[in-house]
Amino acid sequence: MKASLITNSDLVGRTEIAETNCGPIAICGTCRPALFRNLQVDQGLGHFSHYSSIIQRLEDFETIALLPGGRVTLGIEDPNIIVGYCVGSYPDSTDRWAALGDLMYELAAVEVSRNYRGCKLGEKLLGTTMNDDFFEDKIAYMCGYSWHWDLEGKGMSAAQYRSMMKHLYGKFGFREVYTNEPNITLRAENIMMIRVGLRVTPEDQMKFRHLRFGMKPIADKKPTIPAAANT
Amino acid sequence: MLKDYPKAIVTKDGDSVLLRPVTAQDEQELNKFFSEIPDDEQWFLREKLDDPHILSEFLRKLDYKRIIPIIAVRETDGKIIANVRLHLSSAPCIGHVAHLRIMVHPDFRSLKIGSWMILDCVKTAMDIGLEKLFAEFISGVEDSAIGAALKLDFRHEGTLKDYIRDSKGGYRDLIIMSRDLQTRWSDF
Repeated sequence: MKASLITNSDLVGRTEIAETNCGPIAICGTCRPALFRNLQVDQGLGHFSHYSSIIQRLEDFETIALLPGGRVTLGIEDPNIIVGYCVGSYPDSTDRWAALGDLMYELAAVEVSRNYRGCKLGEKLLGTTMNDDFFEDKIAYMCGYSWHWDLEGKGMSAAQYRSMMKHLYGKFGFREVYTNEPNITLRAENIMMIRVGLRVTPEDQMKFRHLRFGMKPIADKKPTIPAAANT
Repeated sequence: MLKDYPKAIVTKDGDSVLLRPVTAQDEQELNKFFSEIPDDEQWFLREKLDDPHILSEFLRKLDYKRIIPIIAVRETDGKIIANVRLHLSSAPCIGHVAHLRIMVHPDFRSLKIGSWMILDCVKTAMDIGLEKLFAEFISGVEDSAIGAALKLDFRHEGTLKDYIRDSKGGYRDLIIMSRDLQTRWSDF
């Protein structure tokens, strides 16, 4: 492992070595833009006959890391191979969720190379990303679209993949919510999951609930049940 | 399986509605719900949950492994405005399928609550590993539910002509619909 890369605080926020059944993998949280030019992407992250990785180029990691609030967590195998990643950022200004400003934070993708699946790397990447007090002021969300899933590579149906996603994100306090956002509603397998930070107010949660259905909150309709429990 | 509940939806008139599993504490509100279903629709209920004694027995024997009953509750006053039941089987030969039955309060139709509840059933059925979901609707009575099911990728499996007799002695067709739950990459 190139220790000079993963322990350099100018390049990586924090690093831990995960002992997996694929061998030791460095999980590097809050990667800085200057890190990526020293790395390579594993061949299991790429174009396949029925599936393409969401991120395949080092420049894309750099772009995300440079976004306001952009976060990149990488799984790196000796000496400098990216074998998995988790990326997040504030929603794009064209997204519905941008209407709530920096309350919303999107976990845009978690992906593990086809060559390193079954090592629980996804869990480690997501766990490292979410292990931050930053998220207690946020409604963190993920949108899972079945057309992005590697069903062939996993040998799963879309429903099984959906359940796997629920299980993975559920470990970090996410739960499924409903929305009429057209891309989510396009297929029943698609899923939106959220994690509400401890310091997010019931009023903000109610705004988010209405936004999920394309509405502004109605001030005189007060819930009888605390909204905090039912986002 | 049911840990994601309650699930919130917002109707197009701005009401917050919570979907959640039925509990024994819902007896009073459920009695009210069924009592407000018009007589000509109550006629078609197969389990006669509009009868308080049968409803009470149903609630006493709640077993989510056999039937998953979900209600839609208006958040402002706790009023039950719809219910759907996902009927499962312990028999291995039909353990891969489930049947759904749905009823929406007459005052709350055209708000897409039924669509959300059917979608919720589809997702729940997927999450518990079922392969196929069936629904039976009465032609001319549940046409809006048929429309909602079609939009959610149910397909028409067959029609049982004159299977249902209405309260005036006329006959109606039973429409059988199904939805595959375990699509693979090749299905896309």
